[in-house]
Amino acid sequence: MAQAVVLPKFGQTVEEATIVKWHKKVGDSVKKGEVLFEVETDKAVLEAESFYDGVLLKILVGENVPAPVSSVVAYVGKAGEQAPEGAPPPAPAAPPAPAAPAAEQKPAPAPAARAPLPAETGRRPAPPPSALHLPPPTPPPPTPPPPSRLLISPRARALARSCVIAPARITGSGPRGRIVRRDVEAYLEAQGYASLRVSPAARRLAAKEGVDILTVRGTGAGGRIMVHDVQRSLAERPRPLSRMRQVIARRLTESFAGTPHFYVTVSADMTDLLAYRQELKARGKSFTVTDFILEAVVMSLQEFPAVNSVCDGTTVRWYGSVDLGVAVSVENGLVVPVIRNAGDLSLEELRDRARALTAKAREGKLLPDEMTGSTFTVSNMGMLDVDDFHAIINPGEAAILAVSSTRETPVARGGKVVVRSLMRMTLSTDHRIVDGALGAAFANAVKGKLEDMELWKSLT
Amino acid sequence: MEKFDVVVIGAGPGGYPAAIRAAQTGARVAVVEKEAVGGTCLNWGCIPTKALIASAEQYWRMKHCGALGLSAADVGFDYAAMAKRKDEVVARLTGGVGQLLKANGVTALAGTASFESRNRVAVKPAGRGEKRTVETANTIIATGSVSAMPGFIPRHPRIVESRAFLDLKKLPAALIVLGGGVIGCEFACLAAQLGTRVTVVELLEDILIMLDADVRREVKRHMTASLGIEILAGAALKDIAADRDGVRGTAGDRTVQAEMMLVSVGRLPLTEGLELKRIGLETNERGFIATDEGGRTALATVYAVGDVTAGSTQLAHAATSQGIVAAENICLGGRKKTDRLVPACIFTSPEIGSVGLTEGEAGRKGRAVKVGKFAFTGLGKALASGEPEGFVKWVVDAQTDQLLGAHAVGAHATDLIAEAAAAIKAELTAEEIGRTIHCHPTFAEAWMEAAHAAHGRCIHAAPKRK
Repeated sequence: MAQAVVLPKFGQTVEEATIVKWHKKVGDSVKKGEVLFEVETDKAVLEAESFYDGVLLKILVGENVPAPVSSVVAYVGKAGEQAPEGAPPPAPAAPPAPAAPAAEQKPAPAPAARAPLPAETGRRPAPPPSALHLPPPTPPPPTPPPPSRLLISPRARALARSCVIAPARITGSGPRGRIVRRDVEAYLEAQGYASLRVSPAARRLAAKEGVDILTVRGTGAGGRIMVHDVQRSLAERPRPLSRMRQVIARRLTESFAGTPHFYVTVSADMTDLLAYRQELKARGKSFTVTDFILEAVVMSLQEFPAVNSVCDGTTVRWYGSVDLGVAVSVENGLVVPVIRNAGDLSLEELRDRARALTAKAREGKLLPDEMTGSTFTVSNMGMLDVDDFHAIINPGEAAILAVSSTRETPVARGGKVVVRSLMRMTLSTDHRIVDGALGAAFANAVKGKLEDMELWKSLT
Repeated sequence: MEKFDVVVIGAGPGGYPAAIRAAQTGARVAVVEKEAVGGTCLNWGCIPTKALIASAEQYWRMKHCGALGLSAADVGFDYAAMAKRKDEVVARLTGGVGQLLKANGVTALAGTASFESRNRVAVKPAGRGEKRTVETANTIIATGSVSAMPGFIPRHPRIVESRAFLDLKKLPAALIVLGGGVIGCEFACLAAQLGTRVTVVELLEDILIMLDADVRREVKRHMTASLGIEILAGAALKDIAADRDGVRGTAGDRTVQAEMMLVSVGRLPLTEGLELKRIGLETNERGFIATDEGGRTALATVYAVGDVTAGSTQLAHAATSQGIVAAENICLGGRKKTDRLVPACIFTSPEIGSVGLTEGEAGRKGRAVKVGKFAFTGLGKALASGEPEGFVKWVVDAQTDQLLGAHAVGAHATDLIAEAAAAIKAELTAEEIGRTIHCHPTFAEAWMEAAHAAHGRCIHAAPKRK
């Protein structure tokens, strides 16, 4: 009997997801454990495996259509078996309207991402779904709609087609603005079409792909439009962003436009810590520079709880625990896995947790719950050879620390110039809640910890 | 110290046009040449082989002119005289190039060049001449290539590469050609036409492997059936030995022996003595210099063109085009690129011309193409001329009808390919070539017919059975 394949539930916070790619076609045989499809949530793309052996009988949810989790998306059964008549899952409810009636009613989306911390569990529950709603279904690519309602005479349309131009840009002079042949001719004249030089193959390609030849810049001899020019136009056509990038775009725009960013930069002298790191390594204890930075940040956040907070303009909430986000670059994007209750972890535990989450992130195996609800984020670009950079605060947080490459730098010390390994760190803060004095104090606390060898000796 | 805007190292088909073009723009130009102006092409390659091939071809026709209603008695040849004529042709052309360089005000520096620094080139003449150092703003490396002579081949006077073969005053009675590429096959045909018993041994599965299978079949048919050349493909030549009696080797389970062996297993870039390390210019693992499409190397003032560059087609005309582009980029400050569309011609018997995409490449790239083919047997002119062997074919984009590649095999194929190259360069479609009126009766009509064939609308060929 046919088995229903359901859209997997990826954690507490995900209500719907989109199948971005079916790896099997109807009629293909499927083995248990084989990848059936790839599904994208607003955080990641994951592979879904089949739980059954058999043949893919029917696909109910095609590619790029959002569907609620746990809904039936396909049937697997024996070859020739009839799939049950399954109605496709209901379309997902429209996402809640953006906080229309101003702030007194609803907090801004970002702070709402955090629910109050129930005292009895100590573990932060998943943020309420309302705040984590998926972005509206993928918008259609921003190409102009097909000119189905374009009023144009058949002769005019035929002329436009034979000239490989898009008639939508032509102003019509007929009744109700209908485009007639005369208009096309006038347009061609105005556009200097007669002097346009196009290679025959380029013209064919443009006609086949629906490229308006007037929009193509020719780079052949004397400006002649060549095949590679049309191919360049095709390659330049706007394409929809991946779901991950759309989420990144939305969140970053929201944060950057909605939060007054303020920056403070300090340089930490890493010379001693780097030497100590080598010493530890020789003793069989291996830590990355990031591990030390994370630990220094966690300790500083505990000293300055005001930095471990979020503000919506009217209220401020201090988080009761440090849930540390660590920015990890992945193929075509960026994810921020979260180390929960980082304040309760030893340096080793922090390192192991960071390492495990980073590996999962690189493999694209992070669950949505592992990427939500951070209270402060560290973005380390030290390995990317940069002098300095400024990060954008993650929604739901009050600050982010941007860590740059460590450089050997001449430093004046006691009237002499010495060469030290300096690492620049720039703290971006939400100026509504973290002022210059607090930002400076926090940044210097992190720096001070990184330079405090007694501290690291006690921790290792 | 003498100062130049451009010093070109090597006066072959890449170097001398670069020098002339640079001089035309008003630059002070010197060209360094250690042997003979004209390089491999004029002295030991294209030109001398074509001179000999012309003699051999004519001889072959005279021997086989009965079909045309002619008779020739006592047909014979004097190889030494043929070689002398070849030398005269070469002398005349190299003399011409020397005069052109002079007329354009290019300073000729005889000797071997080496970099002393990025802007200083030393020239050491052969023999006891004094070393001379010149200063230059820019340098174009056009040193070319030399025949590869792998280590497993014994060094013996009976084993020669193409350059030494051209110096022979007498042809061997039997010849082993090691390597069935362009050079090997041209020499094989030349020698076979003059009566030498030729065996071609090729490591790869077929000779002239870069061509489409149907083109190879046509050439091989003539080489084996008419010229009596034995082709052993897919076999490595092992146990090569040479002594006073001849050259021997084994290819698979076959023993081959001959009076001489020609080694034509590829050409290697020539950078020895340039002291590239001194200026920090690296070569790739095979010794070639990497350049961009404008001839620029990793160093801003050093350019390279021709056979010495990575990805080179090792064709004289490609080197010329690269040389001119490099000279213009240096002297006129442009960002010109060399054309990637390089036609190739092979002077086997029958001749081959080829440009652009092959059917095989299209298949490997997964590109959907149509093929239009027309055999010379359907051409009035080919039959009238008594040259009915061969065909032309177009490789056409299945969607846009764009001409992507053209291949010709048969009489005049090396001249015929020029029309195809122009058509492809201009991005014409098969339909347009089909509608272009071609002279009747000519061999060139075959392009028009083949274009019709791509659409299944051939007039002078029966429709394909469905």
